[in-house]
This record gives sequence, C-alpha cells and structure tokens, in this order.
Amino acid sequence: MNNSPEEDIEAADITLSKKPELPLVWFLPIIALLVSAWLIYKSAAEKGAIITINFPTAEGLEVDKTKIRYLDVDIGKVTAISINDDLKTIQINAQMNSNATDYLKESTSFWVVKPQVGLGGISGLGTLLSGPYIELKPGSGKEQLHFTGLTVPPIMKSHMDGKQFILETNNLGSMRPGTPINFHGIPVGEVLSHKLSDEANAILLTIFIYAPYDQFVRKNSRFWIDSGVDLSASADGFKVRTGPLISLLSGGIAFRASAKDTPADIKPEHSLFQLYDTYDQSTQITYTNTLKYVMHFNGSVRGLTEGAPVQLRGIPIGRVTDISLELDKKTAEIHVPVIVELEPDRIESINDPTNVSDKDVMEQLIKKGLRAQLQTGSLVTGQLLIDLDFHPESKIVASDNHHSDYPEFPTIASSFEEFTHSAQIIMDKLAKLPLDKLTVEMNKTLASLQDTSKAATGMLNTANGTLATAKETLGNASGTMKSANQVLGNLEPGSTGYYEFHKMLQEFTQAASSLKQLTDYLEQHPESLIRGKDEGKDD
Amino acid sequence: MKLIKTALAQGFIRCHDCGYLIKSKVQCLCPICKSSISARRHQNLHLTTALIISSFCLYIPANIYPIMAVTELGVTARHTIAGGIMVLIQKDMVPIAILVLVASILVPLMKLLGITLLLLCVHYRWQVNVHLFTRMYRIIAFVGRWSMLDIFMISILVGLVNMGGVANVIAGPAATAFAAVVVLTMFAAKSFDPRLIWDHQLT
Repeated sequence: MNNSPEEDIEAADITLSKKPELPLVWFLPIIALLVSAWLIYKSAAEKGAIITINFPTAEGLEVDKTKIRYLDVDIGKVTAISINDDLKTIQINAQMNSNATDYLKESTSFWVVKPQVGLGGISGLGTLLSGPYIELKPGSGKEQLHFTGLTVPPIMKSHMDGKQFILETNNLGSMRPGTPINFHGIPVGEVLSHKLSDEANAILLTIFIYAPYDQFVRKNSRFWIDSGVDLSASADGFKVRTGPLISLLSGGIAFRASAKDTPADIKPEHSLFQLYDTYDQSTQITYTNTLKYVMHFNGSVRGLTEGAPVQLRGIPIGRVTDISLELDKKTAEIHVPVIVELEPDRIESINDPTNVSDKDVMEQLIKKGLRAQLQTGSLVTGQLLIDLDFHPESKIVASDNHHSDYPEFPTIASSFEEFTHSAQIIMDKLAKLPLDKLTVEMNKTLASLQDTSKAATGMLNTANGTLATAKETLGNASGTMKSANQVLGNLEPGSTGYYEFHKMLQEFTQAASSLKQLTDYLEQHPESLIRGKDEGKDD
Repeated sequence: MKLIKTALAQGFIRCHDCGYLIKSKVQCLCPICKSSISARRHQNLHLTTALIISSFCLYIPANIYPIMAVTELGVTARHTIAGGIMVLIQKDMVPIAILVLVASILVPLMKLLGITLLLLCVHYRWQVNVHLFTRMYRIIAFVGRWSMLDIFMISILVGLVNMGGVANVIAGPAATAFAAVVVLTMFAAKSFDPRLIWDHQLT
C-alpha cells in the first residue's frame, strides 16, 4: 500500500488550509443588527410626546387614521379616543412626532378641519375624501401636553406678514372674527377678535392688515363700517351707499388712507383707531379749533337734530351739538337753547391779520348783521338746518336767558316761521266766522230744497202717466193712419173706387151747382118759399 | 451503539470538485485539482449562524414597520404585515389572509426556527430523529424561495398602481428588511451542511 505519500500531502496541507478563527461572515449579523437597531432607534426617536386634547365631539375622528397636521405636514396621529368623565366632551390621545415638541406650548391651539362652505368661501375641501384632520397652530408659553380643542378654526391659521390694529366702536353689529376689511375694495385684512373695553363703554376690535397694505394704515387713516346698505336721511336728502357684495351679505369694514399722510406717518402695530359707523361720519373732518355759541329760536325746533349742519350761504361750517329745553321757573318762560359748534377753520381767510382771534372776527360778522335762521333742509324729511346769513336790517334780539356758558348768537325768525305765522292769522280769521248761524240757515235751505225736490219727483211721476197716455194715443193714431192708408190705397187712379169717387165728386159738383141755383133763386125770389115757384115769370 | 458508518467515519474525504477520494479526516487540498477540501463544511456553520442571526435581526423591523404605504384618494394608509392581515380579515377575505399569514409570517419564522434548531442540534450533538430533521432541512431549502411572494407582489403593486393622488403604492422599510430576511435564510439553508446532522448520531 502506498499510504505514506498521501499522509505526507495531508500533513503538508493541514497547515496550508488553516483559516482564521473568526471569518468575515460575522460582520453580516453585526451589520444586520446595526441596521435594525438604527431603524428601531429612528422610529423611537421620531415618536414625540403623547398629548391629550379635549373636543366637544369626535365627529369624523378615527383612531390611527386621523392625523395631526401643521401646514399640511403630518406631525402626529390620533391613537385613542375616549369619553371624558364629565360625559360631555371627548378626549383624544395623540402620538406626536418628536419634531412637534416645539409646537406644544401653552397657547397652542388645535381644531378639527372639516369642509366648510361659507360666504367667505369654501375651505377644507380635501377633507371630503380624506376625512377630517386636526390642525395645530403653534403657540407660545410653557410646554404642555394637555389641550382643549377649539370648536371653530382660528382666523390666523399661521403666521402671516402684517400688523394688528385696534378699532374702537360702540356697536359690534354684524362684525365677527373673519369679517373682511377692504381698502379701496381690495380685501386686505380681517377682524381677529372683539372684546369689551375695560370700562365696558366701547368695543375693541382687533384687526389684522396683511402686508403690504399695512403701510397704508397711517395717522389720518379712517375706518368705517361698510356693511349692508347705508340709507341715511339727513338735511341733504336721502343717500344710499353700499359696500362690496360680500360686505352687503356678511358685513365689513373699510378704510382709506389720507392724501395728507406720508410714509413717515405709518402707524405702529396695535395703534388705536376710531371705527366710524358710516362712511359719512368718517369723511367728516374733525376740527380741533371750534367756537361754541348758543342760539335761541322763537318757534318750534321740531326737525332740528343734534348733528344738523350749520351753513353759511349753503356751505356747512359747523353743526348743532346740543338742543335742550329750559324752563325759567320765575318767569315761567320756556327757552330752547341750541348749542352750535362752529369750525372757523372751514372758512379760508384772506388778508389775515394775525392778531385778530376767530371770536373777534365772528363778533364783527354779527355786528355786520350775521344772523341764524332755521331753514327746512329737506321737504321730504322735514329736517331743519341752521342757516347763517346777513340780515343787516334786523336787530340783535338778546334773550333774557344768560345762564349759558357760551356767547349768544342772534337769530331771526325763519321764513317758515313767518309762513306759519301768517297761516295762523288766516286760521284765526276763519275761526271768527259765524259758522253756527250759517249752518242753521244752510240746513233750512237744504230742507226746503229737499221738499222742492220731492214735489218735482211727484210731477215727474204725473208726467210719466201723461206720457203713457200719449203713447196710447199715438198707437191709435197709428191705427187710423193705417186705415187711411188703406182707404187711400182704394182711391188710387184707375181703380173702381177712384172712378166712382170721381163720378160721385162730379155729381156732388152738379148737386152743388143746383143748390147754388136754388139759393140764388131764393135770394131773388124769397117769396117762392111761401107761394112756390112762379114758373112763367122765371123763364 | 455506534456512529453511522459514513465516509468520514472510515477516514475518507471526497473532493467536491473532481471527486477524488482522499483518505483524510481534516481539511486539506486535493492532490489532483488543488481545491480546498474538507470532510464537512464546518466552517460554514459560522456562515449559517451569522446569516441566521442577521435574519433574526432583520425579522423584527420587517414585522413592526409598514411594508407598504397605500395612498387612496389622497389618504395614505401604512400597512404592516400583521396590519394587512387584519385588514384582509375585516374585509372577509380570510383565505387570502391565511395565505399572507403563512407566506409572510409563518414560513419565514419556521425557516428561522428550523435552521436554528438544526444549528443547535449540530452544535450540541443532540440525539434527534435524524430522518425528520433531514426532511425538515429539505423542506426549508425548498420553501425558501416562495417567501419572496410578498416582495414580488409589492414590487408589482408599486409598479402598476402609480396614479398620483388617486391611488399610489410605495414600498415601506419593512419590505427591504423582509426581502433581506428571505434572501439571508435562503443562503443560510444553502450553506448548511445537512451531513452534519448525521454525524454524532448513534444508531
């Protein structure tokens, strides 16, 4: 046997084929371990805090399906829904991603996004298919893990460039969060919230104006309520003004910038503005330099309201600020002091001597005959206005009442008052007429007239009867006529009747001539009646 | 009682490449073709063990991560393997659910456990039912490729269902891990030397 060489090879090869104890293959499980460890770590690291949110209802929310999103990025999902102990609200547990930790602050708000159809537009249409999701608005403050969800989405869903301002108004009207704010008809902002002022005498609206329009909110910018139809009746007549259609339906605020403002007048954030009720109010320029006067009018001031214009030759230079009723208990006299506010700045002055005050100028004008007079502004509404004009012939009639704090402005009776006065006189004269007597006489006349009328009625009845008889007679006459007609028909020329009638007439003529002869003879010989005809003599 | 009379027991090694019979008991080079020969692929036990441990490591993410993300009308739903089976059961598709359960969970798990069992058996020289274990090995080696069913299905879905927001399927991280598990267990089964089961077995 030749075993030895094989054993030699074997002995030689044993050392050659020796391999390292730990093969490279063991790197594989290490890599696998690392990969899965990394995957698990990643998922564990992605999981952030578990938060709880209270909602009034779990409508549309589903465990493991409903996402929590911010700016349409998923940052968590609902893991459990349970009913709270108060049995009125529900609580959802949500697993947030680790990167969402920064958003979970005290003022962070959550709300459920559902499809919404409103006047302002349609939103959340995507949720029709995908089902609702919970949206988050990051807040500030301390970190927190328990939240109470909002029932309505907040207006400012995310941070936008712009500024917040405060508007002061007396009446909230139809304004609510989301009410649009227009600038020359462009929607440039919205109402964020409203609250009562600390003294509860005004409502403060927080509004947001988007950039770049926020730079037009300047010192003299005016805000007014632009909602619905603004129908105003004033001394100037009727006025109808409407805002954009959307404001017409859901209310709105508008503002405009003043041409006087420069970019240096841009108001800082949270500035307070007055919100005017109407466009007209917002257009009225407020003059700081005013002169107040009191006017006493003789007649009624019905139709004169606070705010009624005071005009000088038709141009408004002020307004009525107060109308009151005063009773002088000593003299039992009633006064109606009308306080007016004149704005001399409305009158442009020429040749202005600097040392003369407006008050002096006004006194000078009064001396020249400037008088106040009530005038009807609008015949339709009956509103009155105060017109100032020069009546140099009229005297300054000072009223006895000197209790007022303001200087008195002389007045004259209005043309309407004069008219009323003359009308009164006519009425008085009318009242003096002996109406009672006249009435009695009139009554009598009327009674006799009635009698006459009755008699006339009787006569008319009789006449009626007569007429009936006449009718009968006429009927008879008609019959007679008919017979006559017949007779005449018989007497037509050529007919037998006509011939006989003709013959008869001839005979009748002959008879008449013999009768004539007889009468002639009798005339000549009347004795023949007694003696008979003398036959000899006659021939 | 004595060991089964194998070639090794009689002191022979057969060259894997050229079939030359060498009277040796340890690893050596074939005198004819110079390839490395050994009586048993003992070295491969390391490979098998490493592959199995890797498979175990990857089996965990394969089951806890979503295997695919299905977007339907803008709604994205991520499904793990178990979650997918639950959905199928909810939709009254129990046979398919059972199929997925068997192909995607039980078969890989059985493969892993089976190979582990074989490895342990070889390592600790347990006295077992050798015929049964051999049959198990054969089944594991055969069934391995069928576990790729899931991966094929997902890759087809990803390719076919791609309609943007209406319907879209994206493979998840678990798909990769699952594919790796299947491939690794296939290699593990391949690298295992079933003759090792028979060694140290007393008849």
